[in-house]
Amino acid sequence: MAATLCRILLPKQGWLPFTQCVRHGSKAVTRHKRPLHFLKQKLMSVTRYIPPPRPAPPGAYPRQTIRDQEDDPFTLLVKKNLKSVFQESKMVAVVQNSGSTADEMMLLKYKLHKHGITVKFFPNQVVRSFLKDSTYSNMAPLFIGHTVLFISKEPKVKEMLSSLRTSRHMLLLGACIDNTLLSAQGVVSYSKLPSVAVVQGELVSGLTLLISQTAAMLQRHPAQLSALLQQHVKQQSSEGAPKAQEAT
Amino acid sequence: MAASGKVTVVLKAVKNITVQFCPFESNVGSTRMFLSVMSSHKVRATNLNCEVISTVKHDRTEPVVEITYLDGDKLMMKGAKLNCSEMLSSFQSMCAAKELQAKLAAAKK
Repeated sequence: MAATLCRILLPKQGWLPFTQCVRHGSKAVTRHKRPLHFLKQKLMSVTRYIPPPRPAPPGAYPRQTIRDQEDDPFTLLVKKNLKSVFQESKMVAVVQNSGSTADEMMLLKYKLHKHGITVKFFPNQVVRSFLKDSTYSNMAPLFIGHTVLFISKEPKVKEMLSSLRTSRHMLLLGACIDNTLLSAQGVVSYSKLPSVAVVQGELVSGLTLLISQTAAMLQRHPAQLSALLQQHVKQQSSEGAPKAQEAT
Repeated sequence: MAASGKVTVVLKAVKNITVQFCPFESNVGSTRMFLSVMSSHKVRATNLNCEVISTVKHDRTEPVVEITYLDGDKLMMKGAKLNCSEMLSSFQSMCAAKELQAKLAAAKK
């Protein structure tokens, strides 16, 4: 019926009819996508389903905020150990170990043990987190790579430096001696300092020298003393006058 | 750890390596890693005559790695803004170029 209708309405070729039959076209179920009625097309586009944005999978991006995790028991033990080390020892030296063999390490440990210096290894991460909370926070940048700690109760710097000089792979980075952070050059100059007793003796001798000089001067004849004092006053006034002239 | 298993560093054409850094600065990590790689056994075993000289300073200067080759050329790397892998790759490319030159010179003879 529909096909016959079409044939009647299109007698000539290249001639568009006044009315076009819409009922003839593709069937309801087609292999291609049937063109929708315009109103239906509009309705479908307006009511299209937009799915909610899916979040990234759990391990895709790193955490933006670093959450403070509780330390595991081993870390706590190491931190306790470190705390006792820093409390008991006067000298804590940080040395970078760049490829020394087990034999060399053994020899170095033996040499240092003779002078009472212990060699200790701690994991860098634990040390850094410990130092962050303690007063020694400025030592934190030293702990990168393979580091070794030389610990001793007495600051035996000369012996440590001599044993480090012989080993090729150990590099002194810095040390904390008597709660003072020193660089490598600081440690070398510390080793060249005289001992405390010598320095105290020098100070005492200098002070006593001055006091003895004043005492000797006062014990002289009073006429000599007055002459000396007059000369001193004259010198002071003469020094004061040129200084005033220079100022003006 | 850079260059851990893929390409080993060969020091055949290197005379000496000088590393200077200040450990209290925050930009020294790559230089120290480079130094530890260069001082490892495998790398040192490739050329026992090559010396690795390291200096620790405390004057806020930038970390510098200076490599002197056998034919007198010098490669200077300022490690303040460089990654360890970048330093290693540039060093390896220079070494490969030197080896090629040496091979060509030997082939000509």
